[in-house]
Amino acid sequence: MGVMQTPTPNPTSTLKTPADRAQEFVAVQGGPETTSAENLMVAAYCGMWAILMLFIFLSWRRQEKLDARLGELEAALAKRGRS
Amino acid sequence: MTLKKLSQPILLLTTALVFFYLIQFIVFTVPQAQAEAGGLAQKIFYFHVPSAYALYLSGAVCFVASAGYLYRPSDTWDSWSRAGAECAVVFGCMVLLSGPLWAKKAWGVYWTWDPRLTTLLLSVVIYIALVVMRAFTGDGDAERKFAAGFGILGTVNLPIVHYSVKKWGGNHPTVVGEGGGGLADPNMRLALYLGFLAMTLLAVLLLIARARLAQTNAKLLALEEHAAVEGLLESP
Repeated sequence: MGVMQTPTPNPTSTLKTPADRAQEFVAVQGGPETTSAENLMVAAYCGMWAILMLFIFLSWRRQEKLDARLGELEAALAKRGRS
Repeated sequence: MTLKKLSQPILLLTTALVFFYLIQFIVFTVPQAQAEAGGLAQKIFYFHVPSAYALYLSGAVCFVASAGYLYRPSDTWDSWSRAGAECAVVFGCMVLLSGPLWAKKAWGVYWTWDPRLTTLLLSVVIYIALVVMRAFTGDGDAERKFAAGFGILGTVNLPIVHYSVKKWGGNHPTVVGEGGGGLADPNMRLALYLGFLAMTLLAVLLLIARARLAQTNAKLLALEEHAAVEGLLESP
């Protein structure tokens, strides 16, 4: 008569009964932070530069427009002064 | 070419070189901080803190020029007051963009109603309101005086932003200055000092550019009035 051996349980194949399975999801505070630090750093630097470049571009464009208008008016006034 | 004409290109070139060196220094040389501080994301600090300092600098310019305008109204004071408020908005937006991205890694959330964050947001909102008001109202003496008063109010809030951490606590770190542990690595310290230098140069450049813009605008308005009197334009 052979000896009966208890089979070693294989964790990967162990099936849970329906009662053991998760039956609800609850929110927890915090938890492991999975956002990539590289992505955050690159986003921060790109965002800051974008704000800065936009401001410089808008300032430059407005200055160009004002200078052009000022030149036109000065020329018109000088022409009026001569005539 | 006179020295005055050369000074701005020299300033621009110096600023560009400092920024170029600073960025490569932060990326390749400055070591990463501990995970609790955000790890690699902590490198945002070297632009975040100097941007906040540039905001204070712009606010100080706005304050002095606004007080100057109220004391003795002139186009020059008004131009600098306007430039200070506009640059404060830009640097404030840079701080408010970079801070939450770093906080996401260090604290796990983008935003929290921490005293420093809240007071800073309030300051930036005041400067935004001031800039929007200047853009959509006239340029008369009453509007200028109201804006000057508003500019003083916005800057008075800045010391509250600075001392809020000490008075009311919160999540915001106090690494630099009184009560802070400082930066352990010499390269970290150097990066921060270079950041301050770069942002000072940038703030000076932007303030000069915006003040010049406001002065040109004032000159144009005066000329338009003159042209209207001469019959070259319809009355504004």
